[in-house]
Amino acid sequence: MKKISSLILAAAAFCLAAPMFTACSDDDKNETINNIVYNIVSEYSYNDSIVAAQKAKSKKDVAVLLVAFGSTWNNAFLAFDKTKAAYEAAFPQADVYVSFSSDICINRASAGENTDDNGNIVKRDYYEPRYLLHAIGAAKYSKIYVQSLQVIPGEEFAAVVASVKKFMNNGYIASVHLDDAYLAKLEKDEAIYLGLPLLNDPDKDVPAVAEELNNLYKDEAAQGVVAFMGHGNPDKYDTFKANIRYTQLEKALQKLNPNYFVGTVDMSGNYKQDVMDRMQDKKINGGKVFLHALMSIAGDHAHNDMAGEGEDYWDEEDPTSEDNSWFEFFKYYKYEPEVPVVGKHPQGLLELEGIRNVWIEHTKHAEFLEDAYHSMYPEE
Amino acid sequence: MVAAVALVCLALPSLAQDSLRTSRMEEVVITGTGTQHLLKDAPVQTEVISRRMLDSYGGKSIEEILSGLTASFAFSEGDMGSQMQLGGLGNAYILILIDGKRIHGDVGGENDLGLIDPHNIERIEIVKGAQSALYGSDAMAGVINIITKKHTEAGIYADNSTRYGTHNDLRQHNTLAFNIGKFGSQTNFQLQRNDGWQNTAEEFAEATVLTDSKNKTVNKFRNWQLAERLTFKPTNALELYAEGSYYKKNILRPRNGRHPSCDVYTYDLRYNNASAAVGGKWFLSDAALGTQRNYITLDADWNKHAYYYDYTARTYEYVLLKGEEYGDLDGEWYSVPMFPGQSKLQSDQQRAMAQLKGIFYLPGENTLNAGVEHRYDYLNAPDRTATGTASDWTSALYVQDEFNRLRWLNLTAGLRLVENRNFGLRLTPKVSAMLAAGDFRFRLGWSQGFKTPTVKELHYRYLHVMGSSTFFNIGNVNLSPQTSNYYSANAEYRGSKVTASVTGYVNKLDNMIALVNVPVGEIPAGVTTAYLGDGSDNVQARMYKNMDDARTWSVDATLSYRLVKQLSLTAAYSYLDTEAHLYDAAKDRMTTVTIDGMAHHKWSAAATYSHAFCPRYKLGVNLSTRGSSTRFYQNNGNGKAFQIWRINITHDLGKAGRLLAYRLEVGVDNIFNFVDRTMHPYHLGNNTSGTTVHATFTIKFNQGKRVNNPITSTKQHLNNEED
Repeated sequence: MKKISSLILAAAAFCLAAPMFTACSDDDKNETINNIVYNIVSEYSYNDSIVAAQKAKSKKDVAVLLVAFGSTWNNAFLAFDKTKAAYEAAFPQADVYVSFSSDICINRASAGENTDDNGNIVKRDYYEPRYLLHAIGAAKYSKIYVQSLQVIPGEEFAAVVASVKKFMNNGYIASVHLDDAYLAKLEKDEAIYLGLPLLNDPDKDVPAVAEELNNLYKDEAAQGVVAFMGHGNPDKYDTFKANIRYTQLEKALQKLNPNYFVGTVDMSGNYKQDVMDRMQDKKINGGKVFLHALMSIAGDHAHNDMAGEGEDYWDEEDPTSEDNSWFEFFKYYKYEPEVPVVGKHPQGLLELEGIRNVWIEHTKHAEFLEDAYHSMYPEE
Repeated sequence: MVAAVALVCLALPSLAQDSLRTSRMEEVVITGTGTQHLLKDAPVQTEVISRRMLDSYGGKSIEEILSGLTASFAFSEGDMGSQMQLGGLGNAYILILIDGKRIHGDVGGENDLGLIDPHNIERIEIVKGAQSALYGSDAMAGVINIITKKHTEAGIYADNSTRYGTHNDLRQHNTLAFNIGKFGSQTNFQLQRNDGWQNTAEEFAEATVLTDSKNKTVNKFRNWQLAERLTFKPTNALELYAEGSYYKKNILRPRNGRHPSCDVYTYDLRYNNASAAVGGKWFLSDAALGTQRNYITLDADWNKHAYYYDYTARTYEYVLLKGEEYGDLDGEWYSVPMFPGQSKLQSDQQRAMAQLKGIFYLPGENTLNAGVEHRYDYLNAPDRTATGTASDWTSALYVQDEFNRLRWLNLTAGLRLVENRNFGLRLTPKVSAMLAAGDFRFRLGWSQGFKTPTVKELHYRYLHVMGSSTFFNIGNVNLSPQTSNYYSANAEYRGSKVTASVTGYVNKLDNMIALVNVPVGEIPAGVTTAYLGDGSDNVQARMYKNMDDARTWSVDATLSYRLVKQLSLTAAYSYLDTEAHLYDAAKDRMTTVTIDGMAHHKWSAAATYSHAFCPRYKLGVNLSTRGSSTRFYQNNGNGKAFQIWRINITHDLGKAGRLLAYRLEVGVDNIFNFVDRTMHPYHLGNNTSGTTVHATFTIKFNQGKRVNNPITSTKQHLNNEED
């Protein structure tokens, strides 16, 4: 029995020692939290300093924050530049900031993704909307416009709304809280505006955008099909149901010319094969198909999923595969697909002046974001 | 293959080695049944890589050893570790034991085999299929038991081995061991380092072929490990031990890339492992010398495998903020910049296990092996699980009886009862029979396997950026356990000069778990935004799902021929075919696929020459080859067929029994410079960089005296190896 006791004792000693290891894990955890808190705070400070410097330079008191998903393509950077310039012209009293909500786009843009048309690597620093918005608050602009550069009011737009509400509720780490009196004043002055996505309103925006697109592409529609490729939204229970805008836009466009179609890369029941089915329902079994991106900029989707040419974009065994490009898909089914380009690239919606103006009008008529502010100190 | 190794092992000792203490027929194995058997009489077909094979081959890593000395394994080294295949099944189905203890931790389904010091291996035993009731029914492909060297002589033992080769490859090994009275101590240190290499600068990324990619075929890495084992034998009937280890590995990725979507990295990878174990073995009776004695063992161990990003440039990460320190951001997913010099934990897998077992020699030539074990798994992955942590436990009870009444027949039957926290109870039987007729052995085996989904398969989710391909991998809480039925048949001949063996087996798996492509819509709500990545459809969502069924079948053959005393030839061949059925939700139909990485034909062969020219000098030459036919994959092309030749020459200096002994070893691997230059990220058949050379110098100091343990002297005994 003595021997068994020894064994059990040894095991017991081991079990007693085990919490020491757990303690090590706790140290790890604390260090990580400290790091992250430090990093978040320093990122706020860094954004704060950029915005403060801009405000000091321009002496303007209005800020416009444009929120895009982001891209890593140089032609997209140029499209954002052009958009920023257009906003500066439309809002001469405002400082205009462009932000990316995608971390990977920010990381890769600053590391130098892709090249310009001459093969030179372009590195661009973009910032995250939550940090930039904090900085705008820290600089105490007296009027703020937050404009969504999304096409449809879907999940991405929901995130924009959430970040503005968080801002108005001073939802930050304690050491970087904004001046609560300033936020209360924004609320009182009704000076925080939320600009809605391009196709927000089915009755106003959808026909307006259809009109603009028809102005641009009616010559193409006279020669054959004009097919737009949108992104699509997850449309889950906790995000807005936004995919219907694509269907509504197609309907509005077809009132102008039956040759217009609108599909997506990510909306169930409205992929390239569904677009073709609808074309065939109308007895369009061949002829030209002009392909355009229905996205704010022409990035990976436009270049690859829509315009990609060659065997890397085509797997004959699985024609409807999401890896197959629209170009190769329509080619396979005996259409004559064509991707109109300006310079070397297909165009994003922000590059089309008429469409860009729809966004600018949204900002100009942006509504006060009611009920966004709730004092952090209600008892006072 | 099993037989191949076995044969090779057997053949090698029989080379012209005057000082052989044991004849080749006395090789002892324990993995299949948990009890010691001479290899030729092992009831469960067991393949052995002996110390002599290891010495003459001179492999720098366990990957090199297993792929060079058997025909059953296939490897593809990834960023994270080694993707290993045995009989067409991957790491998750292969149980790797070090001295009977499971190695712990995986990243992306790959095990970090750098944990295993090749210089410290006494021998390796391989048992295929879920044939052993002892080691868990989850070893559906098989068990690899690595038995380490243990220096139990009284006095002091020390060695130093330094190996250097192409690509600045350094392998350093040291042992310091001493035994004083009832106490013993053994300290091992190892260091491994390699600058990595690049077979091609071509990479398919961003819809074009880049010609200046900096991605390496194998990344630069360095790791080191320190391990300590203390033993205490208060009486001849009791052995106690305590051991612990610490291991660290850094994988350093290119910093000079020009294409952020594929070859620019803003963080390196790091693993930290730690382990601790205590246990003992108690002989229950003081039977006369030379008889088999009943014993009980108790073991408890704890393991940690933590995986970190070490940032080398400013990087935005999407982080779940949890804790009051975050103030109003508590509970939110947030974009957080990480700065160079900082690290962030990705996952910390911890495991605690306790096992009590006994071996009892019963009347009627029955050997009963019974045990209980309990295992607790804990996963801490702050940004890679919905709540930050997850856990699981499994208990098992097993009994196995070996019936040896008839000299010509051995029957072994085992039952393993498993209870898992999420999946309840399951009983799996294992039966094997061996018929002995002269120098011939015939074996039949059937075993059932049962493998519950791992904590990671259930709960882990992460964005996996692999060069230009980005995947979002998602755990699935709706998984069912996997089950298998393994059937094997073996015929073996062991003559004095020739040994030959043929084994056929079929492994049928149901509910096999695999990562399969799913629509982005299946990504859990709330994390979609973060994981849409760069906004392109380059992000492929993949989820663990139960495939409907999978089947592998194989024939392994081995041959060993001792031409003359000094020269032996060995060969191993393995044929494999696989088939899996998968429900394709998008098309609403079943599809038949081969299992990724499967090759129909694999082979290895060696000629080994060894001769002691005088008592102070012995020469060894090992010329070997290994190869594989095309490896098949569902995506990104097939891996090319290859054949690689290798030579290793050893010079042993110093007389047996002297204080100091020396060994100089030089070798050339991939003599004919085979290089697979297939562009990234398509599959390679083999990731060798081409011809490499290496040299090793070893010095051993041995002031010890061998003491025979009267209790265990009947057979070669290595303490606790069977635990």
